[in-house]
Amino acid sequence: MPVEALHLARGQFAMTAIFHILWPILTISLSAFLLVVETLWVRTNEVVWYRHARFWSKLLVLNFAVGVVSGIPMEFQFGTNWGAFSNYTGEFFGNILGFEGAMAFMLEAGFVGIMMLGWERVPKGVHLFATSMVALGSTLSAFWIMVANSWMQTPAGVEVVNGKLVVTDYAKAIFSPDMAWGVSHMWFAALETGLVVIAGISAYNLLRRRNPEFFVRSFKVALVLLAFIAPVQIWLGDSSGVDVFATQPAKGAAIEGHWQTNAPGTGASWSLLAWPDKARQTNDWSLEIPGLLSVLGTHSLHGQVKGLADIPVVDQPPMLPLLYYAFRVMAGIGFLFMVLAFWTVFAMRKARGRLDALLSQRKLLLAWVLAIPLPYIAVECGWIVREVGRQPWVVYGLLRTDQAASNISATAITGSMIMFATFYTILITSFFVFARRWLRKGPDLTLLPPAEPTARNASHASIEY
Amino acid sequence: MNPASTESLLSHAWFGLIGLMLVLYVITDGFDLGVSILTLFRPKESERNLMIQSIGHVWDANETWLVALGGALFGAFPSAYAMILSDLYVPIMVLIASMIMRGAAIEFRHAATDSKPVWDRIFGVGSLLTAICQGVILGKILTGLVPGFLHLGFVVVTAIGVVSGYALLGATWLVKKTTGSLEQTARRYSITAVFTTVTAAIIVSAGTLVISPVGVSRWDQHGVLSILIGFAVLAALAVCYILYSVHMGSEHGPFAGSAILFIASFAGLAISLFPYIVPGQLTVASAASDSSTLTFMLFGIGIVFPIMIGYNLYQYHLFRGKVVPVHH
Repeated sequence: MPVEALHLARGQFAMTAIFHILWPILTISLSAFLLVVETLWVRTNEVVWYRHARFWSKLLVLNFAVGVVSGIPMEFQFGTNWGAFSNYTGEFFGNILGFEGAMAFMLEAGFVGIMMLGWERVPKGVHLFATSMVALGSTLSAFWIMVANSWMQTPAGVEVVNGKLVVTDYAKAIFSPDMAWGVSHMWFAALETGLVVIAGISAYNLLRRRNPEFFVRSFKVALVLLAFIAPVQIWLGDSSGVDVFATQPAKGAAIEGHWQTNAPGTGASWSLLAWPDKARQTNDWSLEIPGLLSVLGTHSLHGQVKGLADIPVVDQPPMLPLLYYAFRVMAGIGFLFMVLAFWTVFAMRKARGRLDALLSQRKLLLAWVLAIPLPYIAVECGWIVREVGRQPWVVYGLLRTDQAASNISATAITGSMIMFATFYTILITSFFVFARRWLRKGPDLTLLPPAEPTARNASHASIEY
Repeated sequence: MNPASTESLLSHAWFGLIGLMLVLYVITDGFDLGVSILTLFRPKESERNLMIQSIGHVWDANETWLVALGGALFGAFPSAYAMILSDLYVPIMVLIASMIMRGAAIEFRHAATDSKPVWDRIFGVGSLLTAICQGVILGKILTGLVPGFLHLGFVVVTAIGVVSGYALLGATWLVKKTTGSLEQTARRYSITAVFTTVTAAIIVSAGTLVISPVGVSRWDQHGVLSILIGFAVLAALAVCYILYSVHMGSEHGPFAGSAILFIASFAGLAISLFPYIVPGQLTVASAASDSSTLTFMLFGIGIVFPIMIGYNLYQYHLFRGKVVPVHH
């Protein structure tokens, strides 16, 4: 197919994926957070937790809506623009996407109606169950999507029969080498996103002294969780990295701007900063730390790290500087979250539960407000590293991207891209307008929990938001 | 059982299961798209509020049947998934665009103040466009993705048929869920929609005979015509029942009748299509995945299927009864 049409198809997938991922990461974590606060409400009966549940779920409604409408194009884009890929991998990949649709997407949709609109209609326990199903559904979605994506990175359990892949071992295909790391690293990234957003929004209100007794609760919950999640995520990231060097050497070498395979008995050096040049097949310049790459990439002093010079140019990923720096931005943000979380926990212990002591920590609170966009930047950088780094393969080692596309005219793809760009701009703008309104309105501190419904009043209660 | 017959059984089972998911999608998302289309004809915001309230709790789960079915098609019949979506690129993309419109608008309208009428318009138009695209896609599949002027005319009729069929489901849903003047309006819409839907359905059936690769050859096959006539009779009875129950003031009868009409039409379609998944282009047998995939998927989705139906029914049950206006 013509090259420009291939580039357009890739561009469209990148654009729709980059837009879509912004939303499920908050849905996954925010619904989990809502599960936590609603459990606290059911367990302790303290009405403040009920008000937290009602307040934050308004943000979830807006976020969930954009997530759903931007998710539908993803499922169908494999068929519209990547027909050859769909034919080749459908027996596994399509299978897994079918599981995601039926087991996860449907589970969320099946309970979100009760969660958002059913406060007056069901007992506390049933509503809590509905919330837990929405949280479970969104996490299950992440699970199945990552199973499919991990298989693309490290395909297993399949063999080529009559020009397409058939599954020979389901367990191996689902539990592909990358899967454990792909699923866990992504899930933790989603959790971090929501917790940072909640911490940041809470900190914003604390800084402005707006309902501080209310927001200190959500701030504390978010921080307690982050203090555990942020360091674990660093470990998950490191383990993902070791896995990448083992299973996708071209990607690993590209991420680190590493050209020369280290000789036996020596350690590969790590570049802190560099500028990789694919045309010249070397770095224009680099600041190196001897031996550190072997340690990072193989957890051993002299572990071999394959250099790009030993990989044919046609098998090397493109856009090396993008890969190189996107990785550093992501990892840097990950470390920043850990530092910020530890600093905050330390400060909270020093404040010894006194609200005014916490409120006086203005620099700290401001740091959290400014941190709000960072998880989104980190996630996008991570995905860029993951997917661009997999090129030129769409299924690593088995199918190249330029063999995977449907034969669609450049005009048609341009048309659909313009549609997505326009619609997504309107969606994200509207989201921010409505989210800002929600933020400024703040929580309803007069809200009373519903009376436990009886069989008589259940079916005639009005539908409330 | 030898491998060939196991494979055949599995692929037929999946054809049936995907067909079932399609019926569930068409009836459930059909009524909420229908209600949304009808909001375009109600200038009073209070009426639109009630109409949207009647679907607010279930529209998302209803739409998700399409996602589940798309995924199932991808896994069970990957070449059909690829062929249909690639060859129908433009209608599919317009469908996606319209689904973005209706999905965003129905949620954003609740947060909107001055812009609410704008979001309502986007919601109605998006829903109408969704129905039109689905009709176009149906028409194109029935005519085997073949271009031509006569085929274009056929596709126009299938589009009108789907829009009016969804409007019928929507109107009868409103008869169930609303009261007073809105309910009476819904009854009037139901009658109109019955006639337009039936007209379109008759033209489509005749067209299928003449234009579709399915054509006479399938209908000539042993036993097929008698089964199809059976479903046609059922459809005719359903139509009579809808008209009767609307006139007699029944609340639930019209919707039940419309659902039966859809199921009968669907069954007729599926039987006419079989053994093709894309008439003239792709048979069930040739498009199906290997037994290993079909079996694994049957376990995974088969086990989950009754659970899916269960919690969907529960959500409907919970919000049963007439909608009551919300006072803020």
